[in-house]
Amino acid sequence: MQKIIYLLLISIFVVGCKSDNKKEDSNELTVYTHRHYESDQELFKRFEEESGIKLNIVNASADELIQKMSLEGEQSPADVLITVDAGRLYRAKSQNLLQSFSSSLIDSIVPKHLKDEDGQWVGLTKRARVIAYSKERIDSTQLSTYENLTSQEWEDKILVRSSSNIYNQSLLALIIANKGQQSAEDWASGVVENMARAPKGNDRDQVKAVANNEGDLAIVNTYYIGKLLNSEDKNEVEAGKSVDIFFPNQETTGTHINVSGIGVAKYSPNKENAVQFIEFLLQEKAQSIFAGSNFEYPVNPNVEPADILKSWGDFKEDNLSLNKLGEYNKEAVIIFDKVGWK
Amino acid sequence: MNLKHRFFKLKRDLNRWSLLLLLILAVVSVPILTIGLKLFDGPGESWNHILEYVLFDYLKNSFLLALFCSIIVILFGVTTAWLVSRFEFPFRKQLEWLLILPLSVPAYIMAYAYAGVFGYSGLFSKLMGAFGIGDFRIEVMNIYGLSLVLSISLFPYVYVSSRTFFLAQATNLLEASRMLGISEFKSFFKLIFPLARPAIIAGLVLVLMEVLNDYGAASYYGVSTFTTGIFRSWFSLGEPETAIYLSAILLLIVFGLILFEKWQRRHLNFTSAKMSKQNYNSRLKPKKANQLWFTVICFIPVFLGFVLPVIQLIIWVEQTFSKVWTVEFISITLESFGIAFLTASVTVLVALLLLFFTRWNKIELLKTSSKLGVLGYAIPGIIIAIGVLIPSLYIDKWLIEKNITSKLILNATLIALVYAYVVRFLAVAYQPLESSSLKIDRSLSDSSKVLGKGNFKTFFKIEFPLIRAGLLSAFILVFIDILKELPLTLIMKPYDVNTLAVKSFEYASDEMVSSAALPSLLIILTALIPAIFLNKLLLKNASNS
Amino acid sequence: MQATLNISNLSKSFDQGKVKALDGITFNVNQGDICAVVGESGSGKTTLIRLIAGLEELDSGEIHIENHLVASIKKNVAPEKRDVGMVFQEYALFPHLSVLENVVYGIKNSRSKKDTALETLDLVGLKGFEKRYPHELSGGQQQRVALARALAPKPSVLILDEPFSNLDAMMRYRLRNEVFNIIKKTGVTAIFVTHDTQDALAVADEILILQNGKLVQKDEASALYKKPQSIYVASLFGNTVQLNKGLQTAFKCPLKEDCCHAIRNESLTVNQDCDYVSEAEILKRTFLGTHSQLLLKLDNGEHLTVVTNEPVLGETIKIGFNSKDVLAFDE
Repeated sequence: MQKIIYLLLISIFVVGCKSDNKKEDSNELTVYTHRHYESDQELFKRFEEESGIKLNIVNASADELIQKMSLEGEQSPADVLITVDAGRLYRAKSQNLLQSFSSSLIDSIVPKHLKDEDGQWVGLTKRARVIAYSKERIDSTQLSTYENLTSQEWEDKILVRSSSNIYNQSLLALIIANKGQQSAEDWASGVVENMARAPKGNDRDQVKAVANNEGDLAIVNTYYIGKLLNSEDKNEVEAGKSVDIFFPNQETTGTHINVSGIGVAKYSPNKENAVQFIEFLLQEKAQSIFAGSNFEYPVNPNVEPADILKSWGDFKEDNLSLNKLGEYNKEAVIIFDKVGWK
Repeated sequence: MNLKHRFFKLKRDLNRWSLLLLLILAVVSVPILTIGLKLFDGPGESWNHILEYVLFDYLKNSFLLALFCSIIVILFGVTTAWLVSRFEFPFRKQLEWLLILPLSVPAYIMAYAYAGVFGYSGLFSKLMGAFGIGDFRIEVMNIYGLSLVLSISLFPYVYVSSRTFFLAQATNLLEASRMLGISEFKSFFKLIFPLARPAIIAGLVLVLMEVLNDYGAASYYGVSTFTTGIFRSWFSLGEPETAIYLSAILLLIVFGLILFEKWQRRHLNFTSAKMSKQNYNSRLKPKKANQLWFTVICFIPVFLGFVLPVIQLIIWVEQTFSKVWTVEFISITLESFGIAFLTASVTVLVALLLLFFTRWNKIELLKTSSKLGVLGYAIPGIIIAIGVLIPSLYIDKWLIEKNITSKLILNATLIALVYAYVVRFLAVAYQPLESSSLKIDRSLSDSSKVLGKGNFKTFFKIEFPLIRAGLLSAFILVFIDILKELPLTLIMKPYDVNTLAVKSFEYASDEMVSSAALPSLLIILTALIPAIFLNKLLLKNASNS
Repeated sequence: MQATLNISNLSKSFDQGKVKALDGITFNVNQGDICAVVGESGSGKTTLIRLIAGLEELDSGEIHIENHLVASIKKNVAPEKRDVGMVFQEYALFPHLSVLENVVYGIKNSRSKKDTALETLDLVGLKGFEKRYPHELSGGQQQRVALARALAPKPSVLILDEPFSNLDAMMRYRLRNEVFNIIKKTGVTAIFVTHDTQDALAVADEILILQNGKLVQKDEASALYKKPQSIYVASLFGNTVQLNKGLQTAFKCPLKEDCCHAIRNESLTVNQDCDYVSEAEILKRTFLGTHSQLLLKLDNGEHLTVVTNEPVLGETIKIGFNSKDVLAFDE
C-alpha cells in the first residue's frame, strides 16, 4: 500500500511539473495543428529560438480542433489553426472561426490561388494528387486525365484508398466544381467499377499493391512517393521504385492540388505573434525544410522542391479557388456514399 | 401504499450515501447528459442521406464484427482460462501470465503489425517463400482480419474474468459431475460453462464496448463500422450533430448490452456465495501427449496476440531506431506512466465510491440506476471529449465572467483530462470491482455492522482487505487502457504533456508506421510492468484464501 | 413496557410490493427470555430477524428495543447503533482475522477489549484458540467463536439465524444445550430462527410460528404442542394426519363438520384397545432401526402411513387412537 502511495505522489509530481510551467506569458502563441510531421517540430523549435515566443502546440485532427475552437468561443486560446487541406480551412472560415490578416511579406510570397480571397488563411505547402503507375505494365501514353480513369481499359486496375480520406474528397469536390454534380457522380461510380479491390489501407499501401501486381494504377499524393523512396524499409523503397508519377489533366484543367495551410483564429489573443509565425513559415528557410524533409511542394516560388519532386518535372496546376474544395466537400462525400466508394 | 407513506419512507431511507451517490452519478454522467441534450438540436442535414445509404451497412458490419469477435474471444479466452486453472501442463505458470499480455498492445498497433506481417514481402510471405510457396498470401485487411485483430488484442478481458471464476470454482461440483459418469470435457460444457456464463459475459461486455468503439483498426482495414461512420459524419460531412446522433444510437445498443448482462447476472448472488467457501481445486494431470497439446493451445493466442506483433514491431524499430530515437522518449514514457497511474488511481477510487455508495444507499431506484454511471466506455473518446468540453468550458467562462480567474483553468489542463478519462474508463474499473465484491458473503458486512461498525469502518476492516485483488486488477486494466488511449488524449491534453500513444499516432497518421513502432513498443513495455504484477497478485490471492 | 423487544404491526415486502415477506407481525419478548421463530422456508423468519437487526428497512409498523424506537416508517436506526448481537447462519467469521481479532472486533470499551474478549472465549470454552484463524477450526468451534463474537459487546438482544443447521445430528444436540446454557448464563434476551422444532421445543421459553409472513401462533413450548391452532402448526411438530371423511368412516368416528381434525402420528396405536379402531392390511414395511414405518390399507380402502416401535407381525393389524388425542382447529 505504501509503495502505491509513493508511486502516486511521484506521478503527481512528474505530471504536475509538466503542466505547471504553463504560466501567464504574453509572449506565447497557441498553435492548433493537424500536421504532425517531424519537420514541423524542428520548425517550431527554430521559431521559438529565433523569436523568443513560446509555442503551445495542440495536435489533433482539424475537425476536432475546429469543434474545440467553436466550443471555446471568445475564450479560445488558439492563435492559429494549421490544417492539411484547404477544405478544413474553408470549414473553419465558414463557421466564423478565422479572421483576416495581412502582411506585405505574405502577400509578396504566396501566389493568389493558394490563399483565401478574404485573407483569412494562406497555404504553406502544396501536394498534388497524381496517378502512380506500374513502370513494368503501363506506358505513360496510356494515361491522360482523371476522367479517363473511368474508361473500360482500367477495369480491375485502379487502387485507391477509402473515401473517408480528405484527399479523395477534395479531388471529387474539384470535379464537382469543374464539371458539375452529375458528371462527378458518373466519374466516381466509374472509378468504383474499375477498382482492383475494395478501398483499404493508406496511400503507401496503394503503391505497394501496385508493386505487387494487385492493380496497375494508384491514386496517391506526391509526397508519399517521396517518402517511400526514402524509407528505411527496403521493401518500401522497391515499391516506390516500381512506379512512376503521372500528372493528369495537363492538357485540360491541370492536376488537382491541395494545400496544407494556416489561418489566424478569430479570437487570437496574440495576433501579432500569429502573423510573425506565418511569415516565418513562409520564408525560404522554413519552406526549404518543408520541401526537403517532407517532400511537399513549397508555396514560396523562390524555394526549390526536393530533388525527387524536381525529377518528376513541372506540371500545370488546377487553379480553382481552393475554398471551392471545402464548399463541395459534403456533396462529394454524399456522392461517394451513393456510388458505394467505401 | 399511500403517497404520504411513500414520502415518509423516502425521507427515512434518504441517507447521506444516497446524496453522495447522486452527486457522483451527476458528476460522471454530465458529459453523457450533455451529449443527450445535444440530441434535441436534431441531427445534421445529411441524416436522411445516412439513413438511406450507409446506416444499414454500419449496422451490418458492426453486428458482424461483434458476432465474430464474441466467438473468437470466447474461444480463446474461456478455453485458455479453463486449461490453466484446471490442468497441470508444461509452462502453465508462464502461460498463465503471458495470456494477459496481448492487452498491452493497442488495437490499432495490432492492426498495423498484422498488415505488416501478412502484407507483401511481410514475415508471412517470407516464411511461405522459404517453404517454396512464394505466391501464397493471406489478406487480413477485411472484416475477418479485423475481427481477428480486435479479438486477439481484447480476449484477455474474457480470459481474466473467466479465470477468476474458474479458480474460485469448487472441485466438488466437478467431482459430482464426474461421478455421474460425465467426462471432464463434457462437464465443462454441461456444468462449468453455464455456471461461468455471468463471468464470461462480464468480460465480453467490455470487449464488445471496445470493439464497437474501435476506430483506428477499422478505418485502416477499410471496414465501415458504426464508429467509422460517426467519424465520417463529423469529419467528412462536417456535421458533429449527426455524429452525436449516431453515438446516441450506439449508446442505446450498449445500454441494451448492459441490461442484458445485468439480467444474466440475476442469479449470481446465490451461486457465488456458496462457491467461494470451498477449497481451491488441485489441478488435474492429463496424459503426456495431452499436456503438450494444452501447452500448444494456450500458446496460440499468446503467439498471435503478443509474440507476432512484437516481432514485427521489433523489426520496424530495428529499421528506424537511429532516426526516431531521442532522449525525449524517456520523459514521454515517464509522463505517460505518470498520467496513467494518476488517472487509474482516481478512476478506481470513483468506481469504488460508486459501488459502495450504491450499496449503502437504501433507495431502490438509485440502486438500479447506478449502472448508468459506467456508460462512458461505450462512447467514442472524441464524443466524450465534446461532452466534457462543453460543461468545463461553461464553468471556465463563468469563472472568467465573475473575475475569479483570467484564463481557462479546466480546459486543456490535467483536471479536465483526468475527468474525461474517468468518465470514459469507469466501466473498466467498475466491472472487476463489482464482481469481486459480489463474491464476498453478504453476511460478513452484515455481521460487522451488527457488531457496531459503521459503513466506513466495515469497508476498511472487512470489505477492502477482501476485494484487494479485484481492486488491483481494476487498477491495472484502467492503467493499460489509459496508456493506449488516443482520441481523448489528443484533444484534451495540456500543451506540454506528451504521451507515447500520441507520439505513435503522429507517426502512424503520417503513414510512417515503422517509425511508430518505437513508441508502440514502449507502450507495451510500460503496460507490461503492472500486467505482470496483476498476475502475481491474482495467483497469490487464489492460493491464500 | 416490560419487554426488551417490542414489535408491533411489522410489515415488509420486496420487489416493489410484489412479494409480501411479513404481514402485520406483533409480539414482545421479555427480558432474559429465549424466543424461537419457527416456520417453513419462505415464511418470513429470516426477514423478521434482519429487520430487527436493522439490515433491512420495514414498510410499516414499529420496532422497539429496550423501550427505544429503532425502526418505523419515519426512523431507521442503523444496525451498528441498535445494540443487537447476531450469530449468522454460516457464522460469517472474518476470514482474514484471527479468533481473538474476530471477538475483539465489536467490543466498544477501549480499555479492556482484550480481557473482555478472552473472558468471552473462556465462556464458550475456546480458551487457547485465540491465535487460530477461522478456517483452522471445526464447524462447532466456528459456531462458538461466532457466539463469543456476538456476546462480547454485551448486546441487549441476541439474534441467532439457523444456528445449528450446518452441524451433524450429534454435534447439534450437544452444542444446542451448550449454547443455550451460555446464553442463559449471560442473561441476554435471545431470539433465534430455526426450521427444526426440536431445537425450539428443547430450549425456547416461547415459540413464534410464522406462515406466509403472518404470525399464526405464539405460545410456550408445551402449550404449543398440546394445543396447536392449525394443522400447519401441528405438522411442524411431527407427522400429523388429517382426519378427512374417508378416515373418519374407516375409524367410525363421526366428527363435527365445521372444523378440521387431525391426529398426531405418535398418538396412533397398534394392536391396542382404544376409542376408535380400524383393521388394516400392511402394504409395505420400512425398517428404521428403533422403529418401523408401515404403509397401511384400511378396511374401506384408505391409505395411511404409520411409524411405530411395536414389533408388528402378520399381514394385518389393528390401528386406532383415543378421542382425547384428536386435535381440532377452526378452519
